[in-house]
Amino acid sequence: MSQYQPPVLDAKFVLDQLIGFDGLCEKLQLEDINIDLADAVLEEAGKLSSEVFAPLNWDTDQNPAQWADNAVTESPGLKEAYQQFVDNGWSTLTAPEEFGGQNLPQVLGTAVSEMWQASNMAFALCPLLSIGSVEALLAHGSDELKALYLPRLIAGEWTGTMNLTEPGAGSDLAAVSTTATPDGDHYRIKGQKIFITWGDHQMTPNIVHLVLARLPDAPPGVKGISLFIVPKFVLDENGEPGERNDVYPISIEHKLGIHGSPTCTMAFGDNEGAIGYLVGEPHKGLPYMFTMMNHARQGVGVQGLGISDRAYQQAVQYARERVQGKNRDGSKKPIIEYPDVRRMLLTMRSGVEAMRALALEASAALDFAHADNNSKEKYARLELFTPIVKGWMTEFAQELTSLNIQVHGGMGYVEETGAAQHFRDARILPIYEGTTAIQALDLIGRKVLMDGGVALESLLNDMTATATELSASSNADAQAFGAAFAQAVDKARAAKEWLLTNAPSEKELSQAVCFDMLMAMGYLCGGWMQGRTLLAVIALTDANDDVYGEEFLAKKRISAMYYSQCLLPRALHHFGVMVQNPQALYEFAVDQF
Amino acid sequence: MKILVPVKRVIDYNVKVRIKQDGSDVDLSNTKMSINPFCEIAVEEALRLREAGTASEVIAVCIGPKIVKEQILAALAMGADRAIRIDVEEQPEPLVIARLLAKVAEQEDAGLIMMGKQAIDSDNNQVGQMLAGIMGRPQGTFASVVKIEGDEALVTREVDGGLQTVALKLPAIVTADLRLNEPRFTKLPDIMKAKRKPIAETTAADLGVEVTSTQQQLSVAAPATRQAGIKVASVDELVDKLKNEAKVI
Amino acid sequence: MKTLVIASHNNATLSPVTLAAVSAALKIGASFDIFVAGKGCAAVAEEAAKVDGVSAVLVADHDALAYQGAENLAATLQANAEGYSHIVAPATSVMKDALPRLAALLGVGQISDITGVNGEAEFVRPIYAGNAIATVTSSDAVKVITVRTSAFDAAPTGAGTGAITAVDNAVDCGLSRVVSEEIAQSERPELASASIVVSGGRGVGSEENFALIEKLADRLNAALGASRAAVDAGFIGNDHQVGQTGKIVAPDLYVAVGISGAIQHLAGMQGSKVIVAINKDPDAPIYEVADYGLVGDLHDLVPELEAKLASVL
Repeated sequence: MSQYQPPVLDAKFVLDQLIGFDGLCEKLQLEDINIDLADAVLEEAGKLSSEVFAPLNWDTDQNPAQWADNAVTESPGLKEAYQQFVDNGWSTLTAPEEFGGQNLPQVLGTAVSEMWQASNMAFALCPLLSIGSVEALLAHGSDELKALYLPRLIAGEWTGTMNLTEPGAGSDLAAVSTTATPDGDHYRIKGQKIFITWGDHQMTPNIVHLVLARLPDAPPGVKGISLFIVPKFVLDENGEPGERNDVYPISIEHKLGIHGSPTCTMAFGDNEGAIGYLVGEPHKGLPYMFTMMNHARQGVGVQGLGISDRAYQQAVQYARERVQGKNRDGSKKPIIEYPDVRRMLLTMRSGVEAMRALALEASAALDFAHADNNSKEKYARLELFTPIVKGWMTEFAQELTSLNIQVHGGMGYVEETGAAQHFRDARILPIYEGTTAIQALDLIGRKVLMDGGVALESLLNDMTATATELSASSNADAQAFGAAFAQAVDKARAAKEWLLTNAPSEKELSQAVCFDMLMAMGYLCGGWMQGRTLLAVIALTDANDDVYGEEFLAKKRISAMYYSQCLLPRALHHFGVMVQNPQALYEFAVDQF
Repeated sequence: MKILVPVKRVIDYNVKVRIKQDGSDVDLSNTKMSINPFCEIAVEEALRLREAGTASEVIAVCIGPKIVKEQILAALAMGADRAIRIDVEEQPEPLVIARLLAKVAEQEDAGLIMMGKQAIDSDNNQVGQMLAGIMGRPQGTFASVVKIEGDEALVTREVDGGLQTVALKLPAIVTADLRLNEPRFTKLPDIMKAKRKPIAETTAADLGVEVTSTQQQLSVAAPATRQAGIKVASVDELVDKLKNEAKVI
Repeated sequence: MKTLVIASHNNATLSPVTLAAVSAALKIGASFDIFVAGKGCAAVAEEAAKVDGVSAVLVADHDALAYQGAENLAATLQANAEGYSHIVAPATSVMKDALPRLAALLGVGQISDITGVNGEAEFVRPIYAGNAIATVTSSDAVKVITVRTSAFDAAPTGAGTGAITAVDNAVDCGLSRVVSEEIAQSERPELASASIVVSGGRGVGSEENFALIEKLADRLNAALGASRAAVDAGFIGNDHQVGQTGKIVAPDLYVAVGISGAIQHLAGMQGSKVIVAINKDPDAPIYEVADYGLVGDLHDLVPELEAKLASVL
């Protein structure tokens, strides 16, 4: 099995040079948190991910979680791996100090999370979901609920799950029909939830389920959903897990990928009803979900980044070793020497680096918003990034993990080499946590049309500033990049205007063009990050930097140029398709299929 | 009992070694540096002794310019209680290092000095032994097991023919070999705490040690590369080649 | 100038690695004496006296030196170091333990693990796990040196007529004692000085299967080696480990069976004159250093090789 090399230096570069980590920490008033500490954190996380989690990745795929008698047993080895994760304090990274957290910036949590996801996505889904429960409680839970559940959740002693989806309610959450009936100082929850990730396991003494359900007097539709906590074991008077609650996994899915992650159908209240506690105010479930949405959706985008990097690393290793054909002098020719293979590898590498920079920029947007008291402007920037990070990065990951198989040739199609696993694992990413279409509609509807394009214009202005700086540089690469990027930004601006003009009046327009808008913005944002990377590389090279070194900077430069030459044009393509408003899409009637 | 653990900043063991064009030295520019793996094992062993109640304090000591703070923090994050940096620009020779450490050990009244058997850059394997000689203390080198019993350190050593266990009267010097232990992963909260632990700074002059030099590195070259060999198709062919071509059997 | 060569021995016989140290001494160019420190080691002194060109053999025969522990050995050597410009020992675990201590007691530096001598004050030694070779000079009044024995041919012996003198100033520091030893007794040649070494790696698969390697080693009258992976997996004891953190060997013939050829292993054997690799993976890195490579299942090939050698040798 291939080794995982955690991208510590690249993550440090992005944090330091593009995000301005030290400045961010100052804004957040975090004394003695700086890039050196971030580096130490990344190093340790890297070690754990590559030495403990990565080696288990193949095993969990081959030995999936098992269900029997309404209980799930996770893949062998994961309990111990989880214990190491928890014992070494990694679940506390971004949580507030008040409840035992380290209070480190979100952006650092994201950089670390990439490594968990890349090394073992199925396993890493567990702590990722726990964060959702933590955030919900932090934002909306009563002091009592917080005191009972947060310390253990943050410490990782208990895990958390998100129970939203039902057989009839996937993209349409308004259709949620699980009920919550008042019963003394708590509620009885009855209903079935499906596709619940890590819904059950034997790794911890308790599991905290977050559940969307309707109260008896709830208004119909989206305005009638409330948020509840349903613990697997009801807490006794000492706050310890006591009696078994009436919530059981009644089956698990046999999936295309992430076999190590138990995807459960959860039955709440098949018997006396599951005891649940209301989080916050009644009927506020969906708005509450929205507060977690930025983190949750960006988290999935980061999964796309992680799996793509894992696939890339494997592809490079294979291409270096696999010999096919000879050079003119008779020496053996590894396939990495063929230009088409290098094309595939560079697409992966440059794509991954662009995604990493974007993921961290978007995550830092949350930190900058917090530092600015969630000012409207800063929050809008965060919200704008979210669907792009989730939607674009997960779609791009499909191509990149597929390229890994292509590089492997026939052996890539054979499970044993492991390339297929990454491809299979990646397939869920554009689906869960809001499908690509949902992200795209969110982008157009809520993030562009709703504020009249103000947030988008602000982003495009920042991009224009970068384009200008590149064009004004005396460096030839920067000028070339600047020209290409400026052109793309112009197209983006034109597309924005086109949307603002036409979408409000044409019923189906947003839905018809949303995918192209999403992908265009994704490639554009990736290009912006690569352009800023190029500027940083030039500045560091001119200053004879000795932190990153010539070799590293040279590779970053070429990666940025490759992006501008070969990947940025995709933005032009998508904007082009969009503003064309392809009539054929509307013409072909439903009954013509 | 206090345990002193010298740690060294060296090239990361995963990094490919490059030699400068002019052959004057190994090229360390922009190279990832880490705590010497044998030193890390020594820190781990010292921590285990403290956790077992045998030692009261683990003190890391590092010789070098400001940049070695990275490695000091790594040792503190693993769990060392405090650290001392001896400010020297260029790495001194082993005899001088031993003299510097001897002074620190005296000042700290360390009952045990636990250190790596060698640094993976110089591969000298000298400092521990020299330190023991200077201090007139017993030495347990190439340790694969360390037990403290009363006023003695029982050290199992990896030697040419197998294993040897010696009993050293404390205070003593022990140098760690690879199989002594597997260093723990550093916990996130401990990385945070490390920056608050005290790092005292001192100089050779403060310690009353003269930084002298009697050795000089004239040049560094790459090792001779072997010529590529051939693949033989059968056992018979192999035996034939070994007997008649290579003439080694 | 005069060199003192410290003998490596087990009180009964002189170890051949001493002759490598003598080779180095000869290259330094001064006349040399040999120091034998031990307990009941008269026979060793006799052997040492036969080394071609040796001037004198000094013997410290004392209880305190029975195990040649570093404290007592270094102190004893210090008491006898007067008049020598060079003190040279083979890089055995005993000498690696004692010589630096001696150097410190004499107030001088040490040059460890030399692979070449350019003159009385200039030496060549590997650094960075042998990934770089350094040429160093020393201006110390006494040069204390350990010698990588695989890098020097054995100096000739048999014609020497050294004068044996007992020294009576052995030192007992009383700082430590040997509690126990687990020294493997073997009929086979010692790894460090054998002319043929047969090594098994993780590919061998089990402790039981290592018998195949042992049988081949015995057929070739070879020393038995192993990769770190094989030792860690429990197939064989650590005293057989060849590699950066094990023993460095440079025999005439090194047969690597089921060994992939990780850098750390290569560091221990790439100085061998002829390397043979037997592995089922045709792309294993070991083939890059092997003179002769045979690809296939070692469980078939090794018995076949052993049988073929039986008929040919």
